[in-house]
Amino acid sequence: MLKFLARGTALAAMIATSSLAHAETLKMWGPEQITEPLVAQLWNGIKADFERANPDVTVEFMPPTGTISNGAVQAAIQSDAGPDVILTNSGIGRISVVKNAKQVMPLTEQYEKRGWKDQIYPWLYTELKGQFGGEIYEVPDGLDALGIWYHKDIFAQAGWKIPATWAEFETLMKAIEETGLQPIAIGPRTPGSAGHLFGNLLQSASGKEVIGKALRREVAFDDPSIAAGAVRLQKLVEAGYIKKEMAGLDLDGASRLWFNKRAAMFVAGPWFTANARKAGYDLANAGYAPMPSDIKGAAIPTGGVGWSWLVPVNSKQPELAMKWIDFMLSDAVMKKRAQDPASTMIYPREIPGVEPPTPVLKDIFAAAAGGVGYNPSVYLPGTVLDTYFQVIQGLISGQIGGEDGMKQLQAKMAEAK
Amino acid sequence: MAGHTGGLSARMSKGRAAGAALPEGSPNDDARTAFWLVAPALALYAVFTLLPIAATFWLSFNSSAGFNTSASFVGVGNYAKAAQDPIVWKSLVHTFAWLAYHVVMAGGLGLLLALAVSRLRITQVFFRTAFFLPHLVSLAVVGVIWANIYDPFFGLLNTALTQIGLGAFTQGWLSDPALVLFSVNVASSWQGFGLYMLLFIAGLQNIDHSLYDAAEVDGANAFQKLIYVTLPGLREVMTFVISLAMINGLKGFATVFVMTNGGPFYQSELITTYIYRLAFQSQDHGLAAVLCILLSLLAIVITIVFNRWRARLSQ
Repeated sequence: MLKFLARGTALAAMIATSSLAHAETLKMWGPEQITEPLVAQLWNGIKADFERANPDVTVEFMPPTGTISNGAVQAAIQSDAGPDVILTNSGIGRISVVKNAKQVMPLTEQYEKRGWKDQIYPWLYTELKGQFGGEIYEVPDGLDALGIWYHKDIFAQAGWKIPATWAEFETLMKAIEETGLQPIAIGPRTPGSAGHLFGNLLQSASGKEVIGKALRREVAFDDPSIAAGAVRLQKLVEAGYIKKEMAGLDLDGASRLWFNKRAAMFVAGPWFTANARKAGYDLANAGYAPMPSDIKGAAIPTGGVGWSWLVPVNSKQPELAMKWIDFMLSDAVMKKRAQDPASTMIYPREIPGVEPPTPVLKDIFAAAAGGVGYNPSVYLPGTVLDTYFQVIQGLISGQIGGEDGMKQLQAKMAEAK
Repeated sequence: MAGHTGGLSARMSKGRAAGAALPEGSPNDDARTAFWLVAPALALYAVFTLLPIAATFWLSFNSSAGFNTSASFVGVGNYAKAAQDPIVWKSLVHTFAWLAYHVVMAGGLGLLLALAVSRLRITQVFFRTAFFLPHLVSLAVVGVIWANIYDPFFGLLNTALTQIGLGAFTQGWLSDPALVLFSVNVASSWQGFGLYMLLFIAGLQNIDHSLYDAAEVDGANAFQKLIYVTLPGLREVMTFVISLAMINGLKGFATVFVMTNGGPFYQSELITTYIYRLAFQSQDHGLAAVLCILLSLLAIVITIVFNRWRARLSQ
């Protein structure tokens, strides 16, 4: 009996050892709303598909507790017990932070070797190649398109519509304010939310081309042609169309104001559908329109790369991480995600024949079809971002004027590499 | 090492066998034994405290964009950069204000509630427990709770003020530059006062009751008893609570990080939050290291000044 037990134990140990030798675990950071049942269902399905295709691999999700903007991604990588592959909010500003700290791998070679180059829009590839002297550190997963969300029922009842010009937009905000509603909500305690509205105002006042030049340092941020957007925010606050109290709100607080119909408008991207679902908001009632502008062609959503895949330099499974990205870029997964009710973004390449799961997403895709402008939150250098967000808070809380704010931003820009 | 420990155990068993105290060895033997006894603790202290301090010093003289990056020596460059950075000065002033608020609000509330509760007979345990409960909640959770209480549109505070006809007093608690640091500190103090209250209650129980009887015989009223008997009797506890509150105040981070992230426009930035911002968000480890050293110096200076004041007080 003892002999039998000993042999059995030895055999079990051998099996365990041999399976351990082959088993691989891929630790994956993200996606953001993984705790939401609908999102979890989609991602668990993707995980199951990947594990089926790679029988010796187990994918382990690490629910994210932050982003590059608040340092959580950096801390996770630095811990050396972090993820093998990361899906996070991106854009050159954020990527430059982890790239400068040498926390993420360059992926340029993989773009050629694995054909990723042909799996994203050609213009997107060109843009990525131009950011860090030809080296690419991210694989875009989703693009953002930020514009005005409004309540269709409130607007229809009052006979309002999002106008074409800025002057008319100010008149609209005055009319909304007189009804006791907050014209527009913003939660600048969350960096992203601060940048969404402010980026829209900058583009509306200066136009896409000028903002692009400022981001490429061809025009200074304190030049009147750029500072005009900041002055516009200052005036909205002074007129009471944006309440100073909003400087104390975060994205959730500002969203709550909009979802409860205490605010008429909110600036957000396609990802706001996830927040709406979570809040139980009827997405059929959500309207979307770009920020009005007096400049021809400037009334388009702002945007840029919203989410990207990154591979930490201390990834325990770098080869597997690349395999995972291959899988995510495949037609099957891309289609599955785009058609799923949990879909919340514009994908990095055209997916023919895919019907967006919600009407508001359809509106956003239509508005973004002609291209998107620049959301400075994802284009500014990482070391400038904090000043950018704080200046927005300063403008909303009435601590600084638009011109002063942009001077501070330019000073930081001059310091940045 | 084995020889030394063997020697020690042999001597201990010899002493035990004789039923006497440990036999006295030569001073050298004792020193060696003591060294080996404290060696593990010393090693841990060196690895987890001294080494990081040394690394922070080293980092403060280097320019480093993050981990895994070869640092380059910049001399006192980071120190000069810190001196010229207006946010460093702002966060320094805020840190002092934060300390003062915390000592007064958390310590003061702890004292007041201790005085109120200590005389209760039947319900004392209930109130002690109830008031201590916030201390069990993590500061991050406290931050989330209070951020919602302060919400200018849906928050409990502004809603309650409006409901009772004091709508004129509603505020942007986290957006008003003059209020934000105080507002966040209220949340932090709310979490901390329970511990101080318990310490004061313990102090109150140690005051000799005959002093109150004597004061009563002398015709002292309640206020006079508080001034001439209670407060002097709490002097030792008070200095302990103040030093504890100062240490907790210097460590202030979580509530600010959760509730304002240092904003709006740096109006609630503390040295600790700025360190985090520099080290983990901007990856400027050199400047962050300088601020760590500044914070340590601040703690040392405050401790020395406070201890001198305490010594003078007890003379």
